Amino acid sequence: MSKRYAIFGFITAALIPLVALLAGCGKTGTPEQQAQEGLDSKNHLRATYDPLHFKPAIANATNEQCLACHREVLEDRVRSVSMAGVKAEDTKAWYQQLTTYKGEQDTFHRRHLETPMAKELMNLQCNTCHEGHDPREEAPGSSATAAAQDDRGFTLRKQVNPETTCLKCHGQFPGWELMRLPGTWDEVKHYFKNDCLACHVSTRTQRHQVNYLKADAIEAAAVAAKEGGHGADVCMGCHGGRAWYRIPYPYARNPWPEMPEGTPEWATDRPTHSESRFIKTEPKP
Amino acid sequence: MTNKLDMKKVKVALERKVAQTYEPVKPAMQFGFVHNNVDCIGCRACEIACKDKNGLPPGPRFRRVMYIEGGTYPEVFAYKVNMSCNHCAEPACLPTCPTGAIWKRTKDGIVDIDSTLCIGCRRCEAACPYGAPQWNPKEQIIQKCNLCVDEIDAGRKPYCVMACMMRVLDIGPIDKLWDGSFKTTAIGPHDETVRQVKNMANPELTKPSIAFVPHRKGKVK
Repeated sequence: MSKRYAIFGFITAALIPLVALLAGCGKTGTPEQQAQEGLDSKNHLRATYDPLHFKPAIANATNEQCLACHREVLEDRVRSVSMAGVKAEDTKAWYQQLTTYKGEQDTFHRRHLETPMAKELMNLQCNTCHEGHDPREEAPGSSATAAAQDDRGFTLRKQVNPETTCLKCHGQFPGWELMRLPGTWDEVKHYFKNDCLACHVSTRTQRHQVNYLKADAIEAAAVAAKEGGHGADVCMGCHGGRAWYRIPYPYARNPWPEMPEGTPEWATDRPTHSESRFIKTEPKP
Repeated sequence: MTNKLDMKKVKVALERKVAQTYEPVKPAMQFGFVHNNVDCIGCRACEIACKDKNGLPPGPRFRRVMYIEGGTYPEVFAYKVNMSCNHCAEPACLPTCPTGAIWKRTKDGIVDIDSTLCIGCRRCEAACPYGAPQWNPKEQIIQKCNLCVDEIDAGRKPYCVMACMMRVLDIGPIDKLWDGSFKTTAIGPHDETVRQVKNMANPELTKPSIAFVPHRKGKVK
């Protein structure tokens, strides 16, 4: 019995270096190049597991820190011509033909971070959407370094949870029934001269008070559009105009001044404040 | 005698209509996948068959088998969730596409893509709640699962389904998969299917055409 083990041990001892040698034979380049590749690989791993990719550090990460490595996010541009010969400048989606849509075709990230309108109305940061997680995790809470199980920072196959990010601006027009409108906005807008501020000059006036939006600029854009006779077009840019998803976002209900105390029926299940990470904080003196 | 059309007016009217209209396609029948999370052994044969069929380089994966593990001893668990494109009833990727490269078939609800029309803006990739559109960095285009539409049209099943050695992945009319009336090896005699498992994005976003036989730890309460 022991002789059999000895033979097995000998074969194993002989095989390991042989396999290692064969594996080495598969590599290309000089030893210096191989060393550099090894170093790059280690650097990549080190970067992958940098604390900046994890909570809580990612919450304070700046765009500059993220874009130092993820340069392609802003450097990549759309193809000027598709493989079949379609010119990017000649094709426009239905939502790109609205009066509020300006500029050339661009990538998703650049549209949200770099275009003049994005800079004018929004204050999106990388970590507004990307909340970070252990790269080993395929579902929240399944690694030793995981955040709490109820974390909704990401979902299966996605590093971003669209329900807590994209849906804010790409959900359905929120509850025309709740507003006691006789029909959808498309059906009734002519009664209101296509102007949201016809009513919202006095109701729900505490709006856009979150750190990823520029509330004053949004108000100014809405007022300017109202004067131009297409006020709702600006508002609908986010509130149902480009509704990729079939449900509306349950916006937090902040009572506006002179509003009666208590929760109205239409706001029964609505959150009463925005997510804490989006609440505006006054700069420290 | 025909009235002469004012083409300027026609163009303006057309632009106005295009700018305001998006109605999801309502197919005559909707195909969908079913996956048994419990009996799947995670061999990834479906992933490989898919990559082989579609000639994909390293990087993009139309189908992904996800290993979900957790708990603390002795209450530990492990199961697999397997997803590709869910061919949603109301897909988010479709209306985002500026070149019309993505469409939904009216006869069976398959969400197909012609990647030769793609300009690589990556909007569909971002909009999909289930990570289906995949970025091909070499070609700078988006590609995705089309449920092997050529196989479907030839009366066969997709490569991923045919490669599944455990027979835990299948396709069928999604209504029948949800109510359990479709005969398939992916659903056991006492199994019930669900539309969502834990950690999956909210199905109300786009109404994905997928059914799961969930693990007890993967059920959504």
